[in-house]
Amino acid sequence: MYKAVVIGGSAGSFQVITKMLMSLPKNFPIPVLLCLHRLKHVRSGFVEALSIKSGIPIIEPYDKDNIKPGIGYLAPSNYHMYIELNKRIALSTEEPVNHSRPSIDLTFETAAQAYRDKLIGIILSGANRDGAYGLKKVKQLGGTAIVQDPNECQVKTMTEASLKLTSVDHIFTTQQIINFLLNLK
Amino acid sequence: MNKFELGIVDTRNIIKMLQDVYDYDFKNYALTFFKRRVENFIRTHNLKNADLFIQRIEKEQEIFESFLEFMSVDKTEMFRDPSVWRLLKDELLGTLIPGATNFKIWFPEVSSGEELYSMAILLKKLNLTQNVRFYASSISELNIEKIKSGLFDPRKIEVNNANYKRIFSEGELSDFYNQENEKAFWDTSLIENTKFIKQNIIFDDYPKGIKLIVFRNQMIYYNQILQERFLKIIHNCLVPGGHLIIGNNEKIDYWNSDKDYITVSKSESIFKKKLS
Repeated sequence: MYKAVVIGGSAGSFQVITKMLMSLPKNFPIPVLLCLHRLKHVRSGFVEALSIKSGIPIIEPYDKDNIKPGIGYLAPSNYHMYIELNKRIALSTEEPVNHSRPSIDLTFETAAQAYRDKLIGIILSGANRDGAYGLKKVKQLGGTAIVQDPNECQVKTMTEASLKLTSVDHIFTTQQIINFLLNLK
Repeated sequence: MNKFELGIVDTRNIIKMLQDVYDYDFKNYALTFFKRRVENFIRTHNLKNADLFIQRIEKEQEIFESFLEFMSVDKTEMFRDPSVWRLLKDELLGTLIPGATNFKIWFPEVSSGEELYSMAILLKKLNLTQNVRFYASSISELNIEKIKSGLFDPRKIEVNNANYKRIFSEGELSDFYNQENEKAFWDTSLIENTKFIKQNIIFDDYPKGIKLIVFRNQMIYYNQILQERFLKIIHNCLVPGGHLIIGNNEKIDYWNSDKDYITVSKSESIFKKKLS
């Protein structure tokens, strides 16, 4: 029933993300939208590093790319990544939000508007509040909100801010998130 | 924490008003972007809702002009993506410009002017300004006036300097601007050879015989229909053998790109129009 999953975190959640992507089967039924805080001057390397062990292809999309199931879309460095209502990627160089570009709030908010109750939003370990508002929008528009268990996070700011703002559907460990995703049909 | 949100009907009404009253057609802007931009404008100008926004803009040209300025998004920093500028500096410009007569460079949406000033500084450093003429188009008169005055946001100095250092081993970016208290100004003699063109969203007045077009991170604000129209205009303006630079994650696939263009650099999104 779900049509997309959107994941937010910072560079510190790299290991968790790698572990999650590793577990996904090649025929994972929905697209994975990834918005991770990253160094803006390091344009290359990140997507390659994520791809090495991932079960699904991970790409940094071009503007207006069609979003397809079984592909991971990583927000390119120094751009915001929006999801258009017609399920295409739209990039933007507008001002940073919460000191961040890409901003997790913007990717989550636009994904929520595009996928509404067919969306899963997951907030992982991270060092600022970006993402908390976005996850709230996911929940408000009928989607499923998941936050990584703060006890498991190296940096708790992002997850705790999210939990404060939204009564989420699940607080999951990495392994529980993986099990949840693997049970999607 | 709850932000003002624009409904789809309100968005359509706003687009219709801008078309009817001012003949600006935003309907082929990317919807998410347009909506978000209007929402931000309504919030920062304390206009409360779509109806008030429509009323005020209909009546007050001044607010409309600031709206246009707001819609031509900041290109964020000088020498954004230093690797593009390094390639221009080390390989491309030095082979293209010397010997060329009347080397025309066009910025189809110059917005806040960073790309224009970056190019002007680069050419100055390379001592290649002589035969070069800039053309800079924008939908916003206010932006054009700001660029002509040289004014820029001093909070950007740090990131601008960092980018500059990634390209040039000699000199300082501060060789090209003055800072007075809270304000910073580019040396406007850098752009004295620039023709500014104010226009609507779709051009009826565009320069011909262009040898280099710098159009980075602007098509991302358009939907595919408008992107295609722009690429057609660009194709008409560019001389055979002329170059086009777009943003890192933009593409020209819709236009018969394989037939008409050679990829000069895939990673930096530089294309060359074929000779025939």
